[in-house]
Amino acid sequence: MQLNLNGKNIEIAEDLRDEPLIWTLHDRLQLNGSRYGCGAGWCGSCTVILDGKATRSCQTKTSQAVGKSLITLEGLANGDKLHPVQQAFLENPLQCCYCMTGHIMTAVVLLENTANPSSVQIDAAMDANLCRCGGYNNIRQNVARASEIARGAT
Amino acid sequence: MKPTAEMRWKTTRRRLLIGAGSLGVLGVGGYFGFKAAIPTLVDQIATESGGGSGPTQPLFWFAIDPKTGITLYVPKGEMGQAVQSVMAQLAAEELELEPMQLQIAFANSSQGFADLHGTFASSSTTSLYQPVRQAAANLREMLRSEAATQLGVPLSEVIVSRGTCFARTKPNKKLAFSQIVAAKKGEWVEPTTATLKSRQQFITIGKNTPRVDVPAKIIGEAQYGIQARAAGMLYGAVARAPRFGATLRSGNAGQAETMPGVKKVVIDVANNFAGVVADTRTRAKNALAKLQLEYTGGSNIGQTELESLVTARAGQGTVVRNIGNIGELNLEAAYRTPLAAHAHLEPLTALVSVTSNLIEAWVSTQSVALETAALEQQFGTNRKIIVYGMQMGGSFGRKGNQTAVLEAAMLSQAVGAPVHIAWTREEEMQHSFYRQPSHTVLRGNVDSNGKIISLEHTVASGDILTGSFDPAIISPILAVGYQIDPGIFTGLFSPYAMTNYRVHTRLVELPIPTGLWRGLGLFPHVFALESFTDELAHQTKQDPLEFRLNNLGADLQARRLKAVLEAVKIKSDWTTPNPRNTARGVACSFSSNTAVAMVVEVQVQNQIITVTRVSIAIDCGLVVNPNGAALQAKGSVVMGLSSTLIEKIVVENGAVQQKNFDDYPLLRLKQTPPRIDVHFVESDLDPQGMGEPVIGPVGAAVANAVFALTGQRLRELPLKLES
Repeated sequence: MQLNLNGKNIEIAEDLRDEPLIWTLHDRLQLNGSRYGCGAGWCGSCTVILDGKATRSCQTKTSQAVGKSLITLEGLANGDKLHPVQQAFLENPLQCCYCMTGHIMTAVVLLENTANPSSVQIDAAMDANLCRCGGYNNIRQNVARASEIARGAT
Repeated sequence: MKPTAEMRWKTTRRRLLIGAGSLGVLGVGGYFGFKAAIPTLVDQIATESGGGSGPTQPLFWFAIDPKTGITLYVPKGEMGQAVQSVMAQLAAEELELEPMQLQIAFANSSQGFADLHGTFASSSTTSLYQPVRQAAANLREMLRSEAATQLGVPLSEVIVSRGTCFARTKPNKKLAFSQIVAAKKGEWVEPTTATLKSRQQFITIGKNTPRVDVPAKIIGEAQYGIQARAAGMLYGAVARAPRFGATLRSGNAGQAETMPGVKKVVIDVANNFAGVVADTRTRAKNALAKLQLEYTGGSNIGQTELESLVTARAGQGTVVRNIGNIGELNLEAAYRTPLAAHAHLEPLTALVSVTSNLIEAWVSTQSVALETAALEQQFGTNRKIIVYGMQMGGSFGRKGNQTAVLEAAMLSQAVGAPVHIAWTREEEMQHSFYRQPSHTVLRGNVDSNGKIISLEHTVASGDILTGSFDPAIISPILAVGYQIDPGIFTGLFSPYAMTNYRVHTRLVELPIPTGLWRGLGLFPHVFALESFTDELAHQTKQDPLEFRLNNLGADLQARRLKAVLEAVKIKSDWTTPNPRNTARGVACSFSSNTAVAMVVEVQVQNQIITVTRVSIAIDCGLVVNPNGAALQAKGSVVMGLSSTLIEKIVVENGAVQQKNFDDYPLLRLKQTPPRIDVHFVESDLDPQGMGEPVIGPVGAAVANAVFALTGQRLRELPLKLES
């Protein structure tokens, strides 16, 4: 079984077909960007980008990612250059940053589809991700800021 | 004479290796004493004093390696309070460095000044402000003195700047700190009283320096406890009783032992433990579900019985404050706060490797000391035990209770390999400990000048402090002078000057585990007290904010509260008319030696309360990092709003009814007021607590605003409007 992970094809053991994708990434591939929060799709911490869609990796079997483009937090930066969304969250971080992967991945997809989102569009896109430390206003600011960086409107 | 903390450090610490020539490495010595830790912890929580203590010998805190530079070993857990970054700022200030020039590591139970206090009670910065700066200044002087020798100039000629030392007259010949250490011959002398900078000389403290932990977190390099790994590790899953207090009566492995990937099934009825080890978490969980386990006993408590047990009756319970004579009391009201979950997103986790001579554990924990003690108690002290604190994905009081570390250790011993345990969300929701339920009856009266004359204050509360710890550990401490749950005192007492004030508390024993939750008693106490303050103000037709100012006395605490109330009055536009269809509410609180005043603006539509704006004024002493402190304040508001408007754990038949975030929702982004303004009041004090105090006024401020808007006085959390 092969995954296209962050632009590279990697071989995965067949017995992981039914394993939730989050645990394949987290335990087998040891990717620390994966974040388990609820295991039921409610919190959004485990969000990855699967064929361009923000996807809950805890609700996705590993085999469902086969033949698709899978992007994780580790695949966003271009060498040392952070993705604009990462850059925005680095400048204005959350507290514990555990849920941050989910916010970043969700925001990346939002900005790919809507380069200059309104505050209403930002709220709508980001509302499904929980942050127990309560950094929601930073998240709102960071998505708007990332859009500015990406559009060169700094 | 009881030895002071400083004496203990001097007499018990190991003599440490120092960069003696051949090694060229300045090493970190170990100090660890669990037995000293617990009374300190209890004292600290009971008295709310962070305590400005810690060793000031540099080699407890720093290592200098020519290759990796200077490492600061931080003795506190990182759970989002940016403690690593703040400690880097404190040390960098005296070492004449940028905080980012320091490497930051966690002290563990065998290396560094490890966590005597634990990471509790908003005390990290308060307690380490002095010792970290002093240790850094001492290290600076050690290096400076050695640089003088190596440069062949008098000490007074040596300048320290940006990680180097040089002679005033030869600024081009710079010796890096690491070079100085590498070239050192013989023993170092550790100065203990190097002069500290005055506040006016600070360059780094007080600035918004960047977080030191975030660069690794933003690219997925940092490891939280759930990502702890060891060669050959396996995954554990542990059975949970179906009712609080139920114990395992019998168990059978059934098909579990032959399921794919299963390495070990442990059913230990005598120790009330059943678990599975497998090669993946999923396989461990699947096999666990196949165990045939029978439980016996336990509680059948339901919500009605719980609330009936936790009911205060005016004037009943232990008197913990008694001033004057309570006379006639003409206003009475009662307030209730439910059980709540911590709901930190990273669950409880531990990776433990048990071998014949060494136990190593990597744990998401607020206290390396408590985790170490639990392992010592379980396995004795013949084996070396090392506990490493990991990055935490939130905690709020939850982590440090030793459950996961013991589960992983028992399974590791049984299977003979390192075992990682991560609780599932359902386990966290249903088998954790919870914020204590509480009920408060207040009775009072006010004179014609709007002064509170008398207040009678009766609290019935589930256990706060003792439930979080192993009874074997905490009981001896409670027996010595702490008959009352020390956790009850945080935020308990009304801050207003009254001639007559009596406070009764009653600890209600419940079959439900309750305990440390952000701020301990603070959130429920202030909800009751500051709602009632509002009721007294309205009864006498006074402006609620002016009423508070009018009733605060003249001592330092009262003056600080007045200052934050005056500040929030301006910042919130209190005296200007409310925006259409909104109203404002005010509340204030004092805890961890920090004064907070908050004004909340609410709207109501279709019986749904929406908070549209929050203004906060805070006096927490010197603010080391304004952005970081403001972020903690805003986070406290969001967590407080979540508890005020949404969160409630309900029990039936001895079990929690909620399972996950669908039936236990948290406040979401759209429900968060876009405008949360934080204002820090100038203060001459050293840094005081910041992690918890701001959650204090949230519940009452919202309830008071709802009353102002609708005329409905809501006295139970979460707030629900009647239709």
